[in-house]
Amino acid sequence: MRDFTLTRRAMLARLGAAGAAAALPWSARAAGFPERAIDIVVPTRAGGGADRSLRAIANVWEKYLGQKVEPGFFPGASGQVGYALYTGKRDPDAYSLIYGNMGPELIGWVLQKPEYRFPEDWVYFFRTDNEPTVCFVRAESEFQSIEQVVEAAKKKTLTVGTSRLPHPASIGILALGEETGAKFNLVPLSGGNKTIAGVMTGEVDIGVLPAGVKPRTGNQSRILCVFDRKNPLKDSLDGAPTANEVFGTNIPSLPSSRAFGIHTKAKMDHPDRLAVLSESLSKTFADPQLKTEVEKAKVAWETIEAGDEAACTEYAEGIIALAKKYEPLLTGKG
Amino acid sequence: MDLPFHLFPELFWHAFSLWYVIIPAVLLGIIVGAIPGFSAANTIIILLPLALSVDVETGLVFMVALYSSSRMGAGIPAILVNIPGTGGAAATPLDGYPMTQQGRAPQALAMSFMASTFGGLFTSVVALFCLPILTQVVYYVHSVEMVVIMLFGMSLIASIAARDPLKGLVAGLFGMMLGAIGADHIYGTPRGTMGFLELYDGLPIIPALVGLFALSEAFLIIEGESIVSKAGRDLMVKAGWGPTIEGVKMTIERWWHVVWTSLIGLLIGIVPGAGAGIAAFTAYQQSRFFSKTPDLYGTGHPEGLIAPESANNGVTSGTLIPLLVLGLPGGLTAAVMMIVLQLHDVLLGPQLFVEDPKLAYGVIMTMAVTYIFMIPTILPLARYMSRITLVSTSYMTPTILSFTLTGAFVARDYAFDMYLALVFGAIGYVARKTGFHVAAILIGCILGPLLEQYLLRAMRISEGDPMVLFSSTLGNVLWVLLVVTLVFPYLFDWMRKRRAAAEAGAAEARS
Repeated sequence: MRDFTLTRRAMLARLGAAGAAAALPWSARAAGFPERAIDIVVPTRAGGGADRSLRAIANVWEKYLGQKVEPGFFPGASGQVGYALYTGKRDPDAYSLIYGNMGPELIGWVLQKPEYRFPEDWVYFFRTDNEPTVCFVRAESEFQSIEQVVEAAKKKTLTVGTSRLPHPASIGILALGEETGAKFNLVPLSGGNKTIAGVMTGEVDIGVLPAGVKPRTGNQSRILCVFDRKNPLKDSLDGAPTANEVFGTNIPSLPSSRAFGIHTKAKMDHPDRLAVLSESLSKTFADPQLKTEVEKAKVAWETIEAGDEAACTEYAEGIIALAKKYEPLLTGKG
Repeated sequence: MDLPFHLFPELFWHAFSLWYVIIPAVLLGIIVGAIPGFSAANTIIILLPLALSVDVETGLVFMVALYSSSRMGAGIPAILVNIPGTGGAAATPLDGYPMTQQGRAPQALAMSFMASTFGGLFTSVVALFCLPILTQVVYYVHSVEMVVIMLFGMSLIASIAARDPLKGLVAGLFGMMLGAIGADHIYGTPRGTMGFLELYDGLPIIPALVGLFALSEAFLIIEGESIVSKAGRDLMVKAGWGPTIEGVKMTIERWWHVVWTSLIGLLIGIVPGAGAGIAAFTAYQQSRFFSKTPDLYGTGHPEGLIAPESANNGVTSGTLIPLLVLGLPGGLTAAVMMIVLQLHDVLLGPQLFVEDPKLAYGVIMTMAVTYIFMIPTILPLARYMSRITLVSTSYMTPTILSFTLTGAFVARDYAFDMYLALVFGAIGYVARKTGFHVAAILIGCILGPLLEQYLLRAMRISEGDPMVLFSSTLGNVLWVLLVVTLVFPYLFDWMRKRRAAAEAGAAEARS
């Protein structure tokens, strides 16, 4: 697990939440909360990455929560079905949460402009992981390094397979192209598996995906660079450098980051309940059993990184700004 | 990749010894396959804790057996009550259901079971012995080639339209328009969703299938007493084991048809993401093209039933190849199987065949053995299953309605899909009453979005250059074959008519 660094904003937010909770009389604080199971809306398919990490977390979290954690999967429309259902049809009573992948889902929210609003309708309050996004090729590719890719892409546009355009990895390669003058043609291949297939079969020159592509492809793929400030998985990602290290660029961190979200109304009306949820999650992430559960679920432990509401907000604001910046390219209107 | 032939006999007997896992999985697979909306993938997800609690081999054998048999199970309701529960079975009722209406349901079921099992068995063996060659398919079949393969399937609309060109083409185009609903494949811009988020990912295929075929059928059959004709009913009442044996014989007589249509399924199955629907329609279209009696297709022609059933089971063998050799799942079921294997620490890819050849080849051998077990498990049931068609429509209609609406719901757990199925039921009913072919609508719905997806991808890769469609050798060969497929039937027909006219003229002159 990465070090949990408490930023100034995070500390203020924590102190504020703790102060607000302490100021309440005991009877008004989450007396008996939760009295029933916590319902989690997951806007992706059962059996996917969110399912695996949520089950690992839930196995420990239930111990501190004293109640069951019950996930419900509502995939579709790049997460919009789950978010629309959560914001529109679930009661804002803190018994219902959403567990989403902030990056792609917020980029999708910016580009598609659905009716639900962020942060008016929901906010993220607890980050669970930070999986870096990477650029990769098949093992037999002519490209041995990201420098070779950029050099080639300066002479001729390279095709880049991506799971979908509204994704942090897509923004990563666009930003790299913008900073280095390389020309990349993003080809959305409808999901991670098909993106891997596109790269492995040579239909596209390179691919961009979250780092989970490496354990899935093993020695059939080579990771060329990471779109992050640092590479937390250096050894297991072929020792790949960050794009910033290679080119001296200033591309922001573009991880795929999952977090628990809650109705904004529930946050305002039931700060005590939110405090119970946050505290129990903090205890969960401090529990050594979590590492066992995470490894059992085949999730890279190094990607597990707890973060409070302030960390989530910082990430969300950053990714929304990037989505707006690259909106013309991601929507074909540029 | 050198094939370890010496291992094959050992793997065969080992797979056979796992009968206690295979037979329950086969029975479960047939049941979940026969219930519209359920699928092997959903069932494996539900049974994930079980698959993870047993050793990797047992879990894998269970999943493979379930997957293979569910494909065959989907053909049962398609034949008996015109309910294709999956896209892979969508071409099955074209000739299967007319056979049922004629009182030949036991023959149709027996043919479906035989074609499925022998098609699956044959392609599993081919996959086992030709693995290194077949693996190469994924490197040569890209978006451009898939565009042409899709057009093979789409050309079936033209065949259907041959009987009533205007109505056939209108139905096909209407289907393609419906298939265009949803977010576009590049930018994700929603089109024609009417504000329904449930339509954002495109038209869900199960509600469309059950609505167009099953619900419209249910609305129609209520107008009569039975789905089987009077003469057919008399046949069915008297039927013993004879019709089942006749179905078996009819399939054996057409063994070559099973072989080559299942190979179409195998090759299409290897391409990640292609799926059983396109394989079934392409095999049906090719079967019709090479037939000496193409006009009989759609009227209960045995070859029209054998082709899609052989092909969709050929797909199951094909799907395993990219999964095992390259770690690329070809469909949803394969993707779920991959997750289970990864959770068992099995790293898929070429290394698997070096480090654990018994597991890698054992999976394909298990599929072959599963098909061997399937025949004695299912064939004796054909006679009894077909009796369902004798049930009065006053019971049959509400049963179909409840089953299909449940099936429409369970695929995605959205109540919206039940309403959508009803809408498609109404569309199908109107289409049937006015002489529009629902199969043409369905082909447009299923293949239209796939065609668009591959076409847009090819165009995106080429940065908008349409000549990309003629940029590959394999693609160009397929284009030529497509033109031949489309033009030759008309050419032969013209030549036949000309010869007949000449002969008639000569006969007249002689008299």
